[in-house]
Amino acid sequence: MSDLAKLSHTAAIILQTVDNGCSYGFDIMDETGLPSGTVYPALRRMEKEGWIASQWEAEKKALAEQRPARKNYRITRVGAQVLEQSQKRYPLLGKLSQKSRR
Amino acid sequence: MSDKPPDELKQPWLVSISQALVGVAAPLVPAAQRDDWRREWRAEIWHRWQFLFHTGEWKRREKALLLWSALGAFADAAWLLASQDSVRSRISGIARSPFTCLAAFAAIVLSIAAVSSGLHATRQMLFSQMPSKAGQLTFIWLHQYIGGGDKGLPADVVPAWQQSSKLLNGVAGVVVSHRQVALKGHSIAGKQLVVAASPALFDVLGATAEVGRFPAENGVVLDHRAWVTFAQRRANVIGSEVKIDGHAYRVAAVLPAKFEFLSRQPTFYLMEKLTYVDKAFIVARVKPGVSEERLNKELTRIAAEICGYYYLQGQMRFSTWRGALLTPLISFGLATLLSSVVAWMALRPRLKQIRLAFEAGNRRTAARRMAFFLSKTGLGLAGVFLGCLEWSRSESSVVLASFDPGSGPFLLWLYVLGTMGVLFWAVADQRARCRVCLRLMAFPVRIGCPGCLLLDWSGTELFCSEGHGLLHVPMMAPSWDEEADRWVSLDDSWKGLFAQEK
Repeated sequence: MSDLAKLSHTAAIILQTVDNGCSYGFDIMDETGLPSGTVYPALRRMEKEGWIASQWEAEKKALAEQRPARKNYRITRVGAQVLEQSQKRYPLLGKLSQKSRR
Repeated sequence: MSDKPPDELKQPWLVSISQALVGVAAPLVPAAQRDDWRREWRAEIWHRWQFLFHTGEWKRREKALLLWSALGAFADAAWLLASQDSVRSRISGIARSPFTCLAAFAAIVLSIAAVSSGLHATRQMLFSQMPSKAGQLTFIWLHQYIGGGDKGLPADVVPAWQQSSKLLNGVAGVVVSHRQVALKGHSIAGKQLVVAASPALFDVLGATAEVGRFPAENGVVLDHRAWVTFAQRRANVIGSEVKIDGHAYRVAAVLPAKFEFLSRQPTFYLMEKLTYVDKAFIVARVKPGVSEERLNKELTRIAAEICGYYYLQGQMRFSTWRGALLTPLISFGLATLLSSVVAWMALRPRLKQIRLAFEAGNRRTAARRMAFFLSKTGLGLAGVFLGCLEWSRSESSVVLASFDPGSGPFLLWLYVLGTMGVLFWAVADQRARCRVCLRLMAFPVRIGCPGCLLLDWSGTELFCSEGHGLLHVPMMAPSWDEEADRWVSLDDSWKGLFAQEK
């Protein structure tokens, strides 16, 4: 939790977007409007911190659909706690949350 | 595993280029992650293309965006590269190297040269020449008392000196001001630089007109910048009406591009007869071999006899064209001297520590350390001098600095602050470096308790990354702490003062 202070507004938006269900890098770019040069390094850093986890989709399924397999990202339990703290720090972030949209 | 799935669509060249960019960036990624990384990027690019194609959005804008997004692979790869411990430690090592410090200063100096058209103001200061003509071009102004500032002389001394001086080949007065100007009926936004001058000015300066003829009186001459900026280089500007503060004049001539006098701003020269109410700076051609003392004597005598102005010895100031141009250099020298004195006084209590930072076991190491100190200080001072001069003179005065906030006292202040900053920093930086290899010390360890001082831990220990030594920056003793350490035991003879006898 000590890293919370280092979570910038941009990083918090990306984490929120992953929590909302955007699991691919380019989808996160679409959702946030941030460029790939910002989104991908942020994803790498969050993965390193253990706030998100990545996973390759099943190769068989991708081949069956005649396309390359994609890597998806999902938020971890630690990441969810970090996001909760971030929402307190950046109150408007909560409005992006799917839970609050419902 | 192959990352190229079968597909009925032929891949467009733009997608291929995007994929190729990912391939170019891939070597930056650490080998262990490279395949995964490349696969992820290529898959995302492929899916984006498919998505856009099938939704009918595969258009120019989206294509450009895809290419732009593919360029982000370089940022991503660079991040992965820089996040490796070995790379970080190498970057940190490079950053702490003495050569990096020198290279950074050299880069600053080169950047200043690059953004200032190759140090234009500095070259002009050192190599500029007025058109050759008999006699030394000299500026004359009034400095009535010490600290009173520079002032112009009443302009009626100009015809008096012109007629009666045997030491001058020509003389003219200039009055610089900013006024409202309208050219050909169009008012120019903001106030423009207007130099009201005696008609003889260009004759004294030895300048020739590029277009038109210099007027005898009541005419306006545009300098080349004003001609380009406000008349778009049109030759038919000659004869057109120009209004200065509502008074109408005619444009008579345009000066050549190489002519530079007083300022680099677009300038309107208003040639008119100056009167005693105008406080003018005087530009004169002094005959060769005339001393300043002789000139002062004669001009003072004429001013008193013809115009009734009595000036004391030293009230009139003289400066040659070259001397005026070199004013920034002299100012910088004075500023460096002043800053050195201030730095010396401020650093006196820490002289012992500073001396330690320069001391070395053998002569070679000592010479190396001193060479580094002098090089970085020299480059820093050069950066301050060139930066301040180029910045302050890019749009301001060439000579007669007093008129312009970009030079004169302002430039002197810039120099004082800049040189002081460089000198203090150079000493502090020297102290923070290894005594052997001159690298900045690393791995700071805080010592003392954090509550002792208001802002931070009170002491630090740093190590040389090459293992040459340890720098101990002692804890600053807070006053209350110091008192607490000074315990003095009292013997029984003191008891009578404190203990109440039962």
